[in-house]
This record gives sequence, C-alpha cells and structure tokens, in this order.
Amino acid sequence: MKDRTAFNNELHKYGRVFTVIALVLICTVPVVFCIATGTAPNGKAMLGALTFTAGYWAIGLVEVVSYAPLLGAGGQYLAFITGNISNLKLPCAVNAQSINKTERGSEEEEIITTIAVAVSSIVTTLIIIVGLLPLGLFSESIVKVLAPVSPYVIPAIFGGLGVVLISMYFKLTVAPFAVCLVICVAAFALGVDIGQSTMIPIGMAVSIASAFIMYKRDKKKSLNNKGT
Amino acid sequence: MYKNEWVIYLFGGVIAALILLMSAFFLVKALRRAKELGISRAKIVKTVTSSAVFSIVPSVPIIIGIGIMMPWLGLAIPWIRLTVVGALQYELMAMQQATEAAGVTSYGAMTDTVIATAFTIMTVSILSGLIFNAVAYKKYQNKLSDLREKNPKLLNTVTGALLGGILSGLASYIIAGGIFNVKNTGGDNVAVSGAVTLITLAASAAIMLLCGILIKKLKWKWLESYALPITIVGALFTAYAVIPLF
Repeated sequence: MKDRTAFNNELHKYGRVFTVIALVLICTVPVVFCIATGTAPNGKAMLGALTFTAGYWAIGLVEVVSYAPLLGAGGQYLAFITGNISNLKLPCAVNAQSINKTERGSEEEEIITTIAVAVSSIVTTLIIIVGLLPLGLFSESIVKVLAPVSPYVIPAIFGGLGVVLISMYFKLTVAPFAVCLVICVAAFALGVDIGQSTMIPIGMAVSIASAFIMYKRDKKKSLNNKGT
Repeated sequence: MYKNEWVIYLFGGVIAALILLMSAFFLVKALRRAKELGISRAKIVKTVTSSAVFSIVPSVPIIIGIGIMMPWLGLAIPWIRLTVVGALQYELMAMQQATEAAGVTSYGAMTDTVIATAFTIMTVSILSGLIFNAVAYKKYQNKLSDLREKNPKLLNTVTGALLGGILSGLASYIIAGGIFNVKNTGGDNVAVSGAVTLITLAASAAIMLLCGILIKKLKWKWLESYALPITIVGALFTAYAVIPLF
C-alpha cells in the first residue's frame, strides 16, 4: 500500500491535469462564442468591470487557500473545477465528515471528503442536465413557481449546519461570530452591503486571528502549569 | 437566441462529460484508497447516500439561476457557467455587473456583443482559484502536511477556525441582512424578505436541533445521514409557507 504522501502526489498529478483541461476548455468557450457569432467583447465595458474582476480574483485566492485544509487534495481539485463550493460542496463535505465523526486532518477524513465532493458533483451535474429540458420548454413557469424560495436556500443550509458546527467548535465560533455580526450590522446601518462573498473571507480572517490568540493563551497556560 | 448556439451546447456537453468523468475518476480512486485503509463499507455507503441526498435540494436553485439568466444569455451559457467553476450567487452578480458595464439594463437590449462581453468578464473573473490549484496548490498542501506532522493541534485549531469563520461570516450576514431587510441578494430581481430569511434560518436551526435530540435520545442512528437534507427541505417548506405573510 502506498503511503499518504505517495497517494496524494498521485492525486496532485491527476488533479493538475484535469484543472489545466478545465481551464483551457472554459477559456475557449467565450472565444468560440465570438467566432460563432462574428462578434467581439466590448473593450470599454471590459475595462469598466476591471474592479469587479480584481475583487473576484482576490476572493477566489482567499477561498482556494482557506478551503484547502477542509477539503483535502482530491476534494480541493474537484470542488474548484465544479464550483458552487460554499453553497453546496463544502456543506456536503462537512456533513459527511460530521456524520462519520472523522478525526480532523486524518487520511480517513480526506477520503470521506473526496467521496462526498465527487458524489455531489455527479448528482448536481446530472440534475442540471435533467433540468435543462423542462427549463428550455417551460422556463417562465418553473422560475415563477420556484424563484421566490431560492434566496432562502443559503439560510436553510447554514441554520442547520451552524448548529452542527457550533456544537463541534463552540469556543472557536463565539468570538468571530460576535465580531462579524458587529461588522455587518454597522455596515448595513451605514447603508453599505458588504456582500456575502466578502463576509466569508472576513469571517475566516477574524476567526483565524481569535483562534491563534486562544491557541497562544492555552500554550502559555500549559507551559505555566508545567513550570509549577 | 444567437447565431450557432448549437456550438456552445456542444461545448457544454463536453464540459459536463469532463466533470462526470473527473468526478467518477476521483470517486474510484477514493473508494480504492478507502478499501486499502480499511474504512468500513457501512461508512462508505453512508457517505455516498447522504452526499447524494444532500446535493439534490441545493441543486434546484442552480437550475432556477440558469432560468433567471436565460433571457439574458440564452440557455447554453448559464448552463456552462453553473456546471464548471461558477457559483450561483457569483454568476448572477457577475452577469449583472457585466451587462451594466456594457450599458444594458434589460434583457430586451442584449446583443451578441453584450453577451460576448458578459461571458468573457464572467469567465475571466473566476479563474484565480483554478490557476492557484494548477500552479501552487501542491506546494501549499505539502506545507499543510508538514504542519500536520509537526503540530497537529495547531492544524486542528486552524481548520476548526476556518469552518467557524465561514459560519460566522455567512450567519452574521444572513442575520444582519434579515434585520435590515436587504431586498436583493444579487442580479436575480427576486424579492427577498428579511423576516422570511430570519424565520428560515431559525427553522433550519430548530429542525437540526430536533434531529440531534432524536438521534441522541431515541438512538435513531439512521437519521444521522439524512438530518441535513431533512433540515434544508423543512426550512424551505417553512419559507414557502410564510412568504405570503411578508
């Protein structure tokens, strides 16, 4: 049996190959669109959206660095190619980890996470394909019936998942939650909508900072106890 | 909608096939490794079934997202954008930003040039994660592995803090957005009630708590795999029921 490093190196090799193929494919489609329709993107509008693009590059980099310890090698490559991470793949992975009570950072956790993300990607891709036909035929009626409830899917996921995570990491969650709530309330009170995708990296940064302070404090305490 | 749309469908088909192939490949690799590590069959079955069931409900808004973008970009482009790399909330916002940058505010005014502009902006904006994974992720993962070897407690704290951070960021935004009754979460133009958001969040937490009690007190072990899907469906039904009241 290969050791963990050798197995992960294999995953990296294939993960990189698939990532490069996906990169080439998704960058090719807009080019193909332009050739097929005999048009080209509007340069002025592209420049106008530069701030937005830069913002999303920054968010993308924060996400890829911070989700890595939670997803493991296989899960990371798969999740970033298939997308819908915070609203689907990550909650699915956390759910699989919590129902199997996996040990944090263990290889078992990494494998369970890869299985969860792979199954989730297959199911979602198939559901979308199946949904395309009725959507093409009856899009207005389908959207009319289901659209009113769609903005509530994220609260529906994170209320329940929140209970699970708080029960697992109560001490680590309380302080960052309080800080984030103050930031959000202050921003909304000033009429600024920070945006959900910006709040996730802010939450992570606050959480890491407070966890690091707690870690240092606990380490100091245990050293003091050893000293006495 | 636009000339030669079939070509884009063809690419969509190739991309969907790649996603299925790649997922199946990693699934098989992980299943084989699980066998080598001696992970029980029961655990694997539980992971596969709960992940499959879990993924059904959150996939529905993705289809709705495609439906919302369809009048603007046709069916094939939103399908591609939401099958690979994209995320529902991001794509709706990106489409809105891109069309606004092109000076278009209604789908009746969409032209091939505006679609090309929007599609290019949406594609370019989401590449950073993939490029990082292709170039630097292996090195980064090795650093994480070193940390796990040398200081597992610190890595545990970091991963716990990251999960707590995601929850804190999202939950605080949902709660504050609910209190301030934020009307719109993106470019989908769907009315969002702050009260319904808060009720949905509370219903979801309450149902999960109830599931936890049933699992612990009545020893309903089978419920563990389905607690989150049941919670999501229950909370969405609650949302559906209370929407007309607000």
